[in-house]
This record gives sequence, C-alpha cells and structure tokens, in this order.
Amino acid sequence: MSQSLRPYLTAVRYSLEAALTLSNFSSQEVERHNRPEVEVPNQSAELLLQPMHISRNEHEQVLIEPSINSIRVSLKVKQADEIEQILVHKFTRFLEQRAESFYILRRVPIQGYSISFLITNKHTESMKTGKLVDFIIEFMEEVDKEISEMKLFLNARARFVAEAYLGEFVY
Amino acid sequence: MSDWRRIDIDAFDPESGRLTAQDLIPPYTTVVTLADLQPKISQLRSLSSSGDVNSAINLATTDPPYSADENTKAEYFRAVLDTLKQVRQADITNIVKSLDSKQHDVLIKFLYKGMSIPEGQKQGGILLTWFEKLTQIAGVTPVVHYLSDRNTV
Repeated sequence: MSQSLRPYLTAVRYSLEAALTLSNFSSQEVERHNRPEVEVPNQSAELLLQPMHISRNEHEQVLIEPSINSIRVSLKVKQADEIEQILVHKFTRFLEQRAESFYILRRVPIQGYSISFLITNKHTESMKTGKLVDFIIEFMEEVDKEISEMKLFLNARARFVAEAYLGEFVY
Repeated sequence: MSDWRRIDIDAFDPESGRLTAQDLIPPYTTVVTLADLQPKISQLRSLSSSGDVNSAINLATTDPPYSADENTKAEYFRAVLDTLKQVRQADITNIVKSLDSKQHDVLIKFLYKGMSIPEGQKQGGILLTWFEKLTQIAGVTPVVHYLSDRNTV
C-alpha cells in the first residue's frame, strides 16, 4: 500500500467506527414510520451529528454524514482525465443498478460524489459492524485499482482496433 | 401552486417543536469578535514562524473561538493550518503526546474542518498524518467526541 493511502484509509476506518453506533429510532414526525434520519431533509436537526470530511486531495474524498439511526458514506473516486470520468460513471452506475444485492449501496450518489452508501440500524443489527467497515475500506482500495486496470485495457484495445482497421489501408 | 401536496405545512407551524441547525448552537455568554481574536492569531503566527511549534499548537488548541462568526473562525483556522503545516512529520507524535484530552478534541475539529474546505484539501496529506498520529495516541475517543459536539471551530 502506498505511503499516502494508509493514513487516508486509517482516518476513514476510525471515523466509520465512531459513526457506526446506530440505534433503532422511529420517526418523530410520522406515526409508525421508521426512516433513516439522514435522508429526511429539514426536519429534526437534533438527530443529525457533525458531518466528517476526509480528503486525501481535491479529487479523493470521503464524506460521512452520521445521524441517530443511519449514516451516509459518500466517496469521490479519483478521476484524472475524461476516460476515467467515463469509466467511473459507468462502473458506479453498474453497481447502483444492482443496489439491492449490495444492501448498503444507495441508488443515487449525493451531489459532487461518485458513489454513496447508506447504512441503517437494520444493517448493523443483521451484519457485523467491523465487517461493514472492512467492506467499505476494501471497496476504496479496489475501486482505484479497478479503474486504472480498465483504463489500461481500454487503451490496449483501442490500439489493437486502430492497428487492425488502419492496416487495411497500407499497401 | 402545482405541487401544493408537497408543501411541508409543519414547517410553518411555530409550535411544531421542530429544531433547526440554528437552534442547536449552544448559547454563548460572550461572543468573540475578530478584533478580540487578533492578538491570539498574531501570537500564533509569530510562534510558528519562530519555530516554536510545540507552544503554537498548544496555544491553538486552547480555548478556540467557538462563539465567533464564520469569518472569524475562518481567519483563525488559516493561522492554525499554517502552524500545522510548519511541523515536521517526526515531531508530530511528541506534540500530540504533550496535549491533554480536551486539546485532542479541539485538534480533531481542526483536522475535520481542514479537510472540508479547499485550502485544507490541498494539504490533505499533512492533515491525514496528524489524524493518524492523533488516533494512534488517543484512539477513537476524539472522533466520538467530535461527532456529538455542537461547538464548532
């Protein structure tokens, strides 16, 4: 692991561990409703805790928004050029369309971020909190690797196609 | 009035008992202004430029301007960020060890604030190093304190 990645992931790990102390909490506004308070705008500010920004640089950031019964974790994945922007967009869209099999994935990322997770007290009751943190950390490690691998593959394929196609015109 | 069904009528009811972010700011007896804080900022800058980073960090994390307005806080934070940048990586552990747990709580507020604004994000590596050393020494405690503390820097 590179030298600057380790402190970044450590900071995310500690912040998540602190934030993932969720409890069951019914809505104060609507009877018999139980909703993730972090997703309810303009109501009950007392249920929201201080948001945590963790950034490695301008392009790689994590925003953790904790509340009493849910937290929202948003990642900004590194996008150095246009190809990476397209790849990140396609990749996160692919995952988001299959959000129900990932349980904690949010279908739409929040403004300015590439992908968001929504963890509620239901998840921490049915899954191990430590493993949830591990999953997000592992995801952050893998997604960069995945994107750069896809970019290399894409470039290699583009080169091959260009050679095969333009080879037709060489006499 | 096409979307009248979506109007949140409870927001207009003064007795709804709803709290906004404004209601949660703790009541301060005195409000610190930029003029009050100026001596501290200049002391901080002179300490960090003379190389006495240990006392500079100690000063910065003691009695931060919780009650000040956003501009004053931003001004104070710039001085703190410059101090944090001055410190060599090898000295961070010793400085953090010399602070008490209240100062750890303040320090982590500065670190999170720094990472949320563009000036600090450029120095992300430095702030993350501070964060790592702080959690090595104080564990997860300052992070938990940060979460529920309504006093912001």
